[in-house]
Amino acid sequence: MDFFYAIIPPKVLSQIFVGLSRTTILFIVSSGLSLILGVLRIPNVAHGSLYMIGAFMAYSLSVLFGGGDLGFWMALIGAPLGVAIISLVAERGVFRYLYEREHLMLLLLTFAFSLVFGDLVKIVWGTEYKSVPVPQMFHGFVYLFGGLPFPLYNLFLLIVGPIVAVALWLFVNKTKIGKIGRAAAVDREMVGAVGINVSWVFAIVFVIGCLLAGLGGVLVAPTVSVTLGMDHTLIMEAFLIVIMGGLGNIWGALLGALIFGLSQSLGILIWSQFGIIFPYAAVIVVLLFRPTGLLKSTW
Amino acid sequence: MRKVMLFSFVFAAIFSLFLFTPSSYAQKTIKVGIVDTYTGPASAFTIDVRDGFEMAIKKINAKGGILGRKVEFTTRDEKFKPDIGLAMAKELVLKEKVDILMGTINSATALAVSDFAKKEKIPFFVTFSKSEKIVVDQGHRYVFNMNENAMMAGRAAGYALGKKPYTKYWIAGDDYEYGHSIANNVWENIQKVNSKAVLIGQTWWKVGEADFTPYITQILAAKPDFIIVATGGSGMVNFQKAAKATGLSQKIPFYQHTAIELSVLKPQGQNAPEGVFGTANYFFYYPDTPANKAFVDEFKKAYNREPRIGALSGYMTAQYIAKAYEKAGAIDKEKMVTALEGMVLDSPVGKLEIRACDHQLVLPMYFGKTKKDPKFPDFLVAGDIETITGKDYMPTCDEVRKMRKYK
Repeated sequence: MDFFYAIIPPKVLSQIFVGLSRTTILFIVSSGLSLILGVLRIPNVAHGSLYMIGAFMAYSLSVLFGGGDLGFWMALIGAPLGVAIISLVAERGVFRYLYEREHLMLLLLTFAFSLVFGDLVKIVWGTEYKSVPVPQMFHGFVYLFGGLPFPLYNLFLLIVGPIVAVALWLFVNKTKIGKIGRAAAVDREMVGAVGINVSWVFAIVFVIGCLLAGLGGVLVAPTVSVTLGMDHTLIMEAFLIVIMGGLGNIWGALLGALIFGLSQSLGILIWSQFGIIFPYAAVIVVLLFRPTGLLKSTW
Repeated sequence: MRKVMLFSFVFAAIFSLFLFTPSSYAQKTIKVGIVDTYTGPASAFTIDVRDGFEMAIKKINAKGGILGRKVEFTTRDEKFKPDIGLAMAKELVLKEKVDILMGTINSATALAVSDFAKKEKIPFFVTFSKSEKIVVDQGHRYVFNMNENAMMAGRAAGYALGKKPYTKYWIAGDDYEYGHSIANNVWENIQKVNSKAVLIGQTWWKVGEADFTPYITQILAAKPDFIIVATGGSGMVNFQKAAKATGLSQKIPFYQHTAIELSVLKPQGQNAPEGVFGTANYFFYYPDTPANKAFVDEFKKAYNREPRIGALSGYMTAQYIAKAYEKAGAIDKEKMVTALEGMVLDSPVGKLEIRACDHQLVLPMYFGKTKKDPKFPDFLVAGDIETITGKDYMPTCDEVRKMRKYK
């Protein structure tokens, strides 16, 4: 082990793992955004709001089930479903009539939605900060890598990340809807022409994308204060990640999230006073050399 | 043709309604215009200001108003945007003809509105902005600061922390004016008291940063004795949660302004870290005086929650407006401003004074650390409270004069 630490110092290893746990949440949220971008061609600015709603729902469910461990697990299941229902209503009620519109129009529409969602959250949950407790079993930290503490909850996130990635891969590559979705991303008229009900396929893809936003919101809730405005910072980062990875490519979202999360945590290690600039510098470098993103864009 | 004439006549009639009603109405009442942020995360604080103000105004009106005139107020939501805030302040003064302006939680808005208030000679009460520029660098005759500013908080904390035996300090905070201002003031004042103190490193993150874990592991590895954490808004809770999860709160003591306040501790319930140092200007449970109790009971009865610092600031603004007009003996802005200078009033936290030299309300600052208390099973409270009086930590009038832009 000492030999290993000589190659990669424990400080760096610890920082990499912390960065990876942040990557998990970024990936989950931005893969949903990318999925919707790729298949439905909607630049969904309201995606961040759904993430925020997911976190607020997690808070309510956690309180409803006594604020303990049960509350957290119920929130983990219930809140993404709640977000899914909201997005289904939004899709069936509004978005499905607007798929053929210009991107700018959709951008404005989803931006309007994000404002409406923001106010709805304020009406439903009030303005006070909310907090979801870390479940008892993930309380505290373990000493990893040369005695540096690592929060248990972040370890949990490191497990969730790959599970979601695999589930998403199975959905996109192995299910019929996933395949139709991929086909529709390339040519939606053609898919309709062969007699597939594209409308419902789109609805399902949209709901799954939004569900991922909700899941991200639940997972982040125990580590932060659940508050109005948490959507703004995230949606910025999510869009950067999606653009960096290639619009509509969910593996691009994974790659983008990895670059974003790791450059942030390692940037802090290199130059803690100016750590914030590293992820954005990484975005600039990537876009300079690959303006269309790292992986193939579906646009 | 007749149709057009009729239309323009109706239009003119309606328009004149808008034109004349407010000004004639203003004769009978005193109008206060509040510009503040009522959407987004900042509204967690601003609604308290509005409610505290409303509670006091209702009482004043019930007793017959000020010099026989009722007080009414209107609010405008600036959405945390200085340009919108300034436009709204202008609209309130020019169209609504308000006598007094009040607000806001956004320092940039407060500075813009303050500049406008100076030109229009309208008294402006700042209720939640923390920039010291408002009354120090850019202070003038018509602006009053009714809450603490970053300089005051930093100096008070520096005063208290300097006496502690820590030597290796680390600064970490939100990378914006408030963060830097708090951190600089704390650090400068620690150095004044403790000559052995050294700064071994700094960390700055963007405002609204959600995950502090990567920053904290970095700070832990550097092993400082003490961390000055200059976060604001939701960053307060975010940092405390991360400090607990990473074990930082058990290993290295740290300070955050308002760390011991209800707005930060209540959301975390019993899971908030213990032993976090903080400063605050108001607690509903301290000081345990009849005046504070009466204020808390009244606020709880009206709004069904405990008052926080914002409620005190809104409440006291209303008291000062009423008392200043009464002292001036006329509804006259110039006389009122003069009356406010040096005015001392009773408040839930004891006697408060508006300093004549800089128009800053002299508030006692409470320094303490978070602890569990069996009396409050739902959240942590401030313990070991040390009261730092204004004269110990406020910049002196001479210091303020030196920093003033407008002489």
